[in-house]
Amino acid sequence: MQLGEPRRASSLRGRLTQAVCVVLAAQAGAAGASSAADVTGTASGSGTGDEAPKWQFDAAGLVYGEAGRAKVVEPNARITRLFANGARLSGTLGLDLVTGASPTGGIASTEIHTTTSASGRVKTDAVGIVPTNQFQDHRGSLDLEWTQPYTRWLTTSFGSHVSREKDYRSLGGSGKVSFSLMRGLLTFNVGGGYDSDEVEPTGGVRVPLSDGTLLEDGAVRAKHSRTALIGLSRVLSRRWMVGVDVTRMEEDGYLTEPYKVVSVVDPETGDPVSELTESRPSTRLRHDLLASSVYHFDTDILYASQRFYWDDWGIVSTTTDLKYRKDLYDDRYIEPHIRFYAQSKADFFHYSLVQNEDLPRYASADGRLGTLRTATLGATYGFRLPDRPGEWAVRAEYMSQWGSGHPTDAIGNQQNVDLAPPVSIGSVVVAYSLRF
Amino acid sequence: MKSPRVQERRLLILALSALLLSGCASMDVQPWDRDLLAEEAMSFSPEPMVTAIDNHIYFSKEGSTGGQEVGGGGCGCN
Repeated sequence: MQLGEPRRASSLRGRLTQAVCVVLAAQAGAAGASSAADVTGTASGSGTGDEAPKWQFDAAGLVYGEAGRAKVVEPNARITRLFANGARLSGTLGLDLVTGASPTGGIASTEIHTTTSASGRVKTDAVGIVPTNQFQDHRGSLDLEWTQPYTRWLTTSFGSHVSREKDYRSLGGSGKVSFSLMRGLLTFNVGGGYDSDEVEPTGGVRVPLSDGTLLEDGAVRAKHSRTALIGLSRVLSRRWMVGVDVTRMEEDGYLTEPYKVVSVVDPETGDPVSELTESRPSTRLRHDLLASSVYHFDTDILYASQRFYWDDWGIVSTTTDLKYRKDLYDDRYIEPHIRFYAQSKADFFHYSLVQNEDLPRYASADGRLGTLRTATLGATYGFRLPDRPGEWAVRAEYMSQWGSGHPTDAIGNQQNVDLAPPVSIGSVVVAYSLRF
Repeated sequence: MKSPRVQERRLLILALSALLLSGCASMDVQPWDRDLLAEEAMSFSPEPMVTAIDNHIYFSKEGSTGGQEVGGGGCGCN
């Protein structure tokens, strides 16, 4: 950020203008990429004095747990160099430690049953319980981002990332250009990204819709994604800012979940008799539109967003997100959060396939491609420790996720079982930020 | 694909965008009135690291993705 051309403050109004610009410029150095500072019409440079911080350190740690399923610990750390001209260079290190159980895609049964899994292993599942596989994984990631303002109306941002886990590698880059118009009241963003990923399933690449014992040639499969974004943000008043962002993502390559299966059920009883590996299309075209609003009351702030999503797999979803930041005392705040997500199922989602019927070209029983609802409720508490530098935030959230567990086409005993029972998820995030 | 619903939503999107750009075009906020806008919390994403963690959770648990960012850390979790 920088101040505009110095003007002769010959009136009270002129002096006030200069004072506000100085305050804005001082705050802008550490502001986020899409922060309100971008719409204040100021640009980088002369406003930052000797006392302006040159570095910013951020850390955030997540502890996440699903009832009876996956547990995640995810520490992240970022260091950002803040340049006097408003440019920022940041590097973020992340680590995911994941353990626990993940649904196989197999169907729950009303009887104890034994099936042959996709890996050829014979296993027994309990009554009414969604079958799961135990797993353990860890993921390391590095993100770099460079933001450079050129004039008061043009800013570019470039980023890259690399990540690696046991069976998945990702390398990608992105770029975004922001044009600030109407003296900063309107900001136009255009950007794009490209990811080149590799999947190396443990045990090899299984033939789709097979019993899991047949493997394809080669151990590694490629997956690519190309993303384009167009966005607008508009200051409507001294208190209110709104934005609209539209993204389009094209994916191609190996989009199958290598360890997921689909149950094959008896046509009369509906009980599982065997399992097949799942099969997904090798392309996917996604679109979404995000409408956002930030409104400043006298002291509190209301954040609201609504996202519409649709893709050519047949999934349509809406996401409503609300946060209300209530300022307390001594730089403390409390911020309740509520989010509701609803999606329709993919065209090729099936809870099960029927024995002796023709196999479809694509089939998946992954609950994330089925009819799904997610409700999230939580709150963040932000504070400073007395006589200690930096800002802290602690956030706790509860998520409940459920599907359409009693479909009208359920067969036999399936009608007596919730095929998509609710999943309870708890998470805690502790974040710390320091400028120096 | 629910084409009629998607078409309806696209029309809604266009209408909202047009309203945003045209209907509010006459609104103005002078530089000396931008004190509240300059607050760090006055942003669509005031906590980028926490937002990234949230997006990672939602990406791994739901069938949709998207928002204000392009690219980002790839993950084999979905």
